[in-house]
Amino acid sequence: MTTITYVEAHGQAVTVDVADGWSLMQGAVANGVEGILGECGGSCACATCHCYVDEARIGELPPPADNELDMLEDAAAPRRSNSRLACQVKVHSAMAGLIVHLPDRQQ
Amino acid sequence: MFVFDPYDPIVDSNPFPLYKELRDHYPCYWSEAGKVWVLSRYADVVAAASDWQTYSSLKGNLLAELPSRTGATLGTTDPPRHDRLRALVQHAFTRRNLAGLDEQLREIARTAVRSFEGRERLDFNREFSTEMTMKTLSLIIGLPPTDENHLRRQAMLCVQTDPVVKGKTEEHERAFKWINEFAVSVIEERRARPKDDLISQFSVAEIDGDRLDEREVIMTTTMLIVAGAESMGAFMSLMAMNLADHPEALARCVQNPDLLPDAIEESLRFNTSAQRFKRTLTRDVELHGQRMKAGDAVCLTYGSANRDERQFPDPDRYDLDRKPRGHLGFGSGVHACLGSMMARQVLRVAFEEFHKVFPRYRRAEADLPWMPSTNFRSPTRLELVLE
Repeated sequence: MTTITYVEAHGQAVTVDVADGWSLMQGAVANGVEGILGECGGSCACATCHCYVDEARIGELPPPADNELDMLEDAAAPRRSNSRLACQVKVHSAMAGLIVHLPDRQQ
Repeated sequence: MFVFDPYDPIVDSNPFPLYKELRDHYPCYWSEAGKVWVLSRYADVVAAASDWQTYSSLKGNLLAELPSRTGATLGTTDPPRHDRLRALVQHAFTRRNLAGLDEQLREIARTAVRSFEGRERLDFNREFSTEMTMKTLSLIIGLPPTDENHLRRQAMLCVQTDPVVKGKTEEHERAFKWINEFAVSVIEERRARPKDDLISQFSVAEIDGDRLDEREVIMTTTMLIVAGAESMGAFMSLMAMNLADHPEALARCVQNPDLLPDAIEESLRFNTSAQRFKRTLTRDVELHGQRMKAGDAVCLTYGSANRDERQFPDPDRYDLDRKPRGHLGFGSGVHACLGSMMARQVLRVAFEEFHKVFPRYRRAEADLPWMPSTNFRSPTRLELVLE
């Protein structure tokens, strides 16, 4: 289990233990974190799991693949350099303490 | 002695007590009858669905497989090929594309509902689910008009299994072949005279400049038909069954149709049509004290994970207010259902229109006939009394 902190749009921070191998999206929806939808179930088909990964640590993550980059174009909230689709980021122990900011809208 | 046999008719009609036994006492269970390890807890099913490298789909995702299709469909390929194939068809099933079809979907629903006016009884499955799903599919992927009941029947046969032979019979294989041939005829027609639809685009699509393998084109098109016709048809009937069996929830949805999306999500959790899917291990895995070996088949029991009280409190209650985020009614991960947005929209429109004319209904039969299938749960008849 790895500790991840999700910061909801209005500022509320929720810290969750996410099972290794689960995605940031699954960690959020299975633990009641508001602000991530994940309508397509994690198949990179909807862009409703858009998040902003802490800029200080985003370089630790494997870079997005083409399908994620394509889908990010559809994100509802502004796309930033630290935008990722949460369903494409798998959690593992080296990510402990990662902070993930959620946008104010997903649709 | 406890036995979980995915071919047993009790698994078709009422798997839920067996699922609970599996979750509580045998969370990593070797089914001798199914020759498959059965995972039943939410946490384990999510972990497996997320780990395609270990839990591969290449050898098929049906517990009783149709070997000619493996490696050539979305459900039977792994990334990276899977992702490229999916990217070619996904655009037709996005919320944005479907939003533009809302009025046409509504017209399909209205036409069907109008044809039931004055009726006191209805086989919802045969008369409405089939009509709605087949016409929707035709609209979205570009199938020509055809005998819808016949096509749905062939699709159902593709996903059925025989409890005696514990696998597919000639009848099932013939049905698959029929749909293949139907797909081939449509593909050829669309290549000769392209229209602005998915099959036209898909039939000439390329990945990195390479034309798709002909088998991929035919098999993927076939599975779009089977999944749309049968998975969605069955799910629509199960939703009707849920509302018929929970009159309070039905009344609330009729009074406030904005509750239908919640009813649909809870239906997906409670008893969706796609209950169990197969994977094949690429390495040894130890889980709950069991050693699963590379090459072993594993059953991801989405239908059980959705009833796991470790994730969903009071799981056997159909609760309109639950809002079950993270449910596995459409699976999870790279293979999560391609048609999920389509199914949500179609069911919402269908029930909105149905409830305008038929706001109260109940089941005519206590016991339903269930399709025999190691993967899917589908009532082959749902007689409703329209009050």
